[in-house]
Amino acid sequence: MNRTVVTLVGKDHVGIIAAVCNFFAENNINILDIKQTTVQEYINMILIVDTTGFDKGFDKLAEGLDQVGKSVGCIIKAQHEEIFDMMHRI
Amino acid sequence: MVELSEVFETYEMVSHENLDVRTITMGISLLDCIDPDLDRLCGKIYDKIVSRARNLVSVGDEIGLEYGVPVINKRVSVTPVALVGGAACRSPEDFVRIAETLDAAAKEIGVNFIGGYSALVQKGMTPADRNLIESIPKALSVTERVCSSISLGSTRTGINMDAVRLMGDIVVRTAEETRDRDSIGCAKLVVFCNPPDDNPFMAGAFHGVTETDCVINVGVSGPGVVREALTKVRGESFEVLCETIKRTAFKVTRVGQLFAKEASKRLDVPFGIVDLSLAPTPAVGDSIADIICEMGMEYAGAPGTTAALAILNDQVKKGGVMASSYVGGLSGAFIPVTEDRSMAEAAEIGALTLEKLEAMTCVCSVGLDMIAIPGHVPATTIAGIIADEMAIGMVNQKTTAVRIIPVIGKDVGDRVQFGGLLGDAGIMPVNGYGCADFVNRGGRIPAPIHSFKN
Repeated sequence: MNRTVVTLVGKDHVGIIAAVCNFFAENNINILDIKQTTVQEYINMILIVDTTGFDKGFDKLAEGLDQVGKSVGCIIKAQHEEIFDMMHRI
Repeated sequence: MVELSEVFETYEMVSHENLDVRTITMGISLLDCIDPDLDRLCGKIYDKIVSRARNLVSVGDEIGLEYGVPVINKRVSVTPVALVGGAACRSPEDFVRIAETLDAAAKEIGVNFIGGYSALVQKGMTPADRNLIESIPKALSVTERVCSSISLGSTRTGINMDAVRLMGDIVVRTAEETRDRDSIGCAKLVVFCNPPDDNPFMAGAFHGVTETDCVINVGVSGPGVVREALTKVRGESFEVLCETIKRTAFKVTRVGQLFAKEASKRLDVPFGIVDLSLAPTPAVGDSIADIICEMGMEYAGAPGTTAALAILNDQVKKGGVMASSYVGGLSGAFIPVTEDRSMAEAAEIGALTLEKLEAMTCVCSVGLDMIAIPGHVPATTIAGIIADEMAIGMVNQKTTAVRIIPVIGKDVGDRVQFGGLLGDAGIMPVNGYGCADFVNRGGRIPAPIHSFKN
């Protein structure tokens, strides 16, 4: 399994999660977990996804998410999960 | 399972607090390139650097993208060139050919600096060492990316005062050769006492002779992250202050450790060390001086600054050592002036003086770094400044360094603008009383006694 953490930050409105989930479905990326908080009108969301079925390379994933982010007015970033384990676990 | 708060803490660190991996530096041994024919030597050096480091930049960028933390610099350090070129170079001009070769190789592979145009002369100089040192002004003016470092002293050997005196002249001549660019050549020239063999940071990086053929060393950074963490513990005790720095340094260093392991795997080159230094940049907030202010000083340089820096340096090491399997290099806090916006501001208003910076170097990782001084300061005075700094390193068994820039044609009240990571600052005043009779004595300062410490 190739676990990647996707972070989304932006102003909340209808269709953000749908757009992101569609992108993952179209690219054969499985969503393992979603967590979200909304502070006033801003949405903070993380998705843990498995990119094993996505064979176009990490740069294409980052590029695709960037485009989805622009279309819904949010910043979306992808990072390998390992960096969070390294930084926050002994 | 990662927590939302952890993900957004990391996100904030990268987006707003300038968390980055400052450098992935590939150390390459050139000992197997040694050849008595200069043309063949240069050919071998170029081929080896380009073949070993061809993918360094792309791999660094790739890792940065995948983990979401930028790798600011990708660099190369090589075996001290005085050792490599000794058989082929008969004159300073011959050594300049090697500098041009290093510069060409650096441009080919896309690294922004290549270090190791160096000589280790802490006890004495061979003819090759002297030729290399004499070639530095020309070498640094005709090349763009070559960095030079000279070791002038160590705790075990004492200080080579002949070389210190010579380097006073070389610093001035290097400044004159690049006078049209605010004497920027001196920004690529550093002198050391007790230099480490595995330092990934420029201008002092070189690949020591005790190192393996090729190695990956990583320098982490993160002054902005430490400062932001400290804003949450204002007014708390020293215990809380220290714990906060330590915990933050742990997180920052773990990023470096991860990147070092990944770079090592992808480039098929052994992992050497992670250097735990906090290195500032001219970016707003990415400043050691800001951390000192956050700890309670009105400006960096105010009384208390040395103690604050000592705490910072020690806690960064304590947090970092736990986070990495191999720690090395300089590992501490850097206190450059031009490269740190708030440090430069403190110097300009007179809160931070050269003498205070010297005191600060007793408790942090390097030394007098990126300090612009008037162009008319005599070479003997520069040699005196170097000797003072070497003595601090020698006696305290630590690395110290001097990277000082006499800006030709400028004086106190003027400004220099180097741009990029080198930053800009006002010219700092230097004590005008002479030391020529001292530095002109010639010979060596003996090594200090290692017992009866008090």
